[in-house]
Amino acid sequence: MSAAAICARDLRKAYGAKPAVDGVDLDVPRGSFFGFLGPNGAGKSTTIRMLTGLIPADSGSIEILGFRMPEQELEVKARIGLVPDESLLFDRLTGAEFLEFVGRMYGLDRATARSRGRSLLDLFELADDRKMIAEYSKGMRKRVAMAASLIHHPDLFLMDEPFEGVDAVGARLMKNILQDLVRRGATIFLTSHVLEVVERLCDHVAIIHNGKIVTSGRIEDLRAGGESLEDAFVRVVGAGAPRGQLDWL
Amino acid sequence: MIRAILRAQFLTMRFGWGRRALSLIAGLIWYTLWAFVAVAVGIALSDASPAELALYLPMGLLGVCAYWQLMPVASASMGSALDLRKLIVYPIPHRKLFAIEVLLRLTTGVEMLLVLAAGAIGLSRQGGGAGLRAAVVVPILIALNLLLSTGTRSLLERILSRRKIREVGALLLAMVWVVPRLLFHFGYGENALERVGGSMQSALLPWTAAANVLLGNAPAIGFLSLAAWTVAAFFFGRWQFERSLRHDSVAAAATPAQVSPTRVAIADRLYRLPALLWRDPLAAIVEKELRTLARTPRFRTVFIMGFTFGLAIWVPTAVNRKGPAEPWFLTVVAVYALTLLGQVSYWNCFGFDRSATAFYFAAPVSFTRVLIAKNVAAMVFIYLEVVMVIATTTVLGLAAGWRNAAETLAVTGVCAAYLLALGNWGSVRYPSGLSGERLSHGGGRGFQGFLFLIYPVALLPVGLAYLARYAFDSEIMFGLVLAGSAVLGGVFYWMALDTAVTTAATRREQLVAALTTSDGPVSGE
Repeated sequence: MSAAAICARDLRKAYGAKPAVDGVDLDVPRGSFFGFLGPNGAGKSTTIRMLTGLIPADSGSIEILGFRMPEQELEVKARIGLVPDESLLFDRLTGAEFLEFVGRMYGLDRATARSRGRSLLDLFELADDRKMIAEYSKGMRKRVAMAASLIHHPDLFLMDEPFEGVDAVGARLMKNILQDLVRRGATIFLTSHVLEVVERLCDHVAIIHNGKIVTSGRIEDLRAGGESLEDAFVRVVGAGAPRGQLDWL
Repeated sequence: MIRAILRAQFLTMRFGWGRRALSLIAGLIWYTLWAFVAVAVGIALSDASPAELALYLPMGLLGVCAYWQLMPVASASMGSALDLRKLIVYPIPHRKLFAIEVLLRLTTGVEMLLVLAAGAIGLSRQGGGAGLRAAVVVPILIALNLLLSTGTRSLLERILSRRKIREVGALLLAMVWVVPRLLFHFGYGENALERVGGSMQSALLPWTAAANVLLGNAPAIGFLSLAAWTVAAFFFGRWQFERSLRHDSVAAAATPAQVSPTRVAIADRLYRLPALLWRDPLAAIVEKELRTLARTPRFRTVFIMGFTFGLAIWVPTAVNRKGPAEPWFLTVVAVYALTLLGQVSYWNCFGFDRSATAFYFAAPVSFTRVLIAKNVAAMVFIYLEVVMVIATTTVLGLAAGWRNAAETLAVTGVCAAYLLALGNWGSVRYPSGLSGERLSHGGGRGFQGFLFLIYPVALLPVGLAYLARYAFDSEIMFGLVLAGSAVLGGVFYWMALDTAVTTAATRREQLVAALTTSDGPVSGE
């Protein structure tokens, strides 16, 4: 079995003539808390979507937890927990019903799915809510999405901006859960624009810019010289001067 | 500002030309058919005697008005309209928004514009200044209908956004159709047109006033009456539009604080029934679909429409027979319900899931099972509708026996095999996001625009069975041809399913993107 949780080689995806992901190589060690960073439009979400099989890659190879994508797609999907950037929630179900549904889709029997769903709703402080997901706030939607990613006890989590729209209390709760998962041996691959969060949680990072990995490795190595992750990030991707005239503003 | 809104709408449409080309072709066919109707109306008006015109023209104009106001509702699609939630944040004067909204009402009455234009030409051939009068009156009549339609639409959309009320609203709308037919049934049918025409001679009625001006009968009074009605329609439309601007549809549709635990428990048991027949993940998806569709206001409204409109249209005819209805009655109502449910179930089966459709590509489940589960859920509701129709006709004493009921169930199943097969393909090839709340948003584009052509073809195999019964006067021949159609439908269904799954696999990005993309400032039908 491969030592890497995710191993991608020369991954490419283009939309028309524009390459969104342009020859990405990724090695995410098992048991790591891996931060995948990049400016807006750098190719982070496209990479996650290819890793999870939501979109096909134009070329390149992907191996996840020792299984090849897309040949062993179902084996991979059964072992990953996904928190995508856009909603995969069915709005006309309650939180409890949604979690039970997701559990059953991942092969749990109804009783187990229901019981785990209840525990997760308790954990994420959504237990008393009989509202349909359509009526949830953005933070509640993120919390229920994260709960859904946990229900089948996956080995690998792929999370695209999991803390976006979540309040401080909810974010703290989610971070604690994620850290606990890594301590128990799970691998977490997340993207976030909040570099302080990545700096505090992650032990490995990769930075993608214009569809290419510009740096990758242990977070301590990237911050060599005592600079913060934000400084390192700006140095790597380059902070452009403001463009255009805003004299009217 | 108006130009900016229209330009934003144009720009949001520019990426969907392939799909819109289909709508264009379908529209051309539809409006060509209406052009023939319009020409017939024009010829009829040019040849009619003054007495006939005085009697029938007000009724004709009333019909035009009724079509303009009611047809969008009867077809469960209320036409294009401004998406006020996207525009309310900008400093746009409400009168300008109202002006655009009024102009958008033209989209629900193009057929009537053709009829009115041809009618005006026909009348002008009568001579005596009729052409000039038509040139003045027809634009006012159009304005009256547009303004009235704007107000009616705003009012209906607000009413239909409220929990429970929308279902009651659908029932009341069905009554609009059934009342005239019941009047016919209870003896008002004899010379009804003449009597209705006779009772419409008051110039206080806008249609009569318009007809009087067109025919040169006391035109001053008629013109004043028509102008007064148009001004009233303007105030009504503006008033209702302003109320819609301030309407909070989210609050109106919110889950009530108190829900009966017993009711929840009973519903929960019903939703779990699929697990008795199938294993997960099929059972889980069917259960999820049943819960989702049953809670989707738009689906519930169309479900009630399918049930009540079919009965509303056909029951009076059947009641008139003073005995069991013709055998075709039940089948026609059931197939009508099947076709009406199509737009909120099988023609665009991922429409309500929107971006969550991506879940099916992320979860360890085959797409074949997803489509089958969605079809099973659609069939549950289709058969529920048919069983309700059968029960109602039995209670009314219209049922033609158990054989007729069995035939209806069988015919519905065979028709469904063809429609679901085409629906699966259409759902992955031409998906579009549907709003679960609003009757008027999403689902009427591209492929769906062709439905009036697809239905006759898809229902042809079943039609052949009825043809065989008629031609050979034999129940055995009917049964044989129907059985053959069922086998063919099964083969067709599995072949189309395979194609749909392959298409979904290769077009998964486009599929999810199409379901996620929101409309521009003007929401489609």
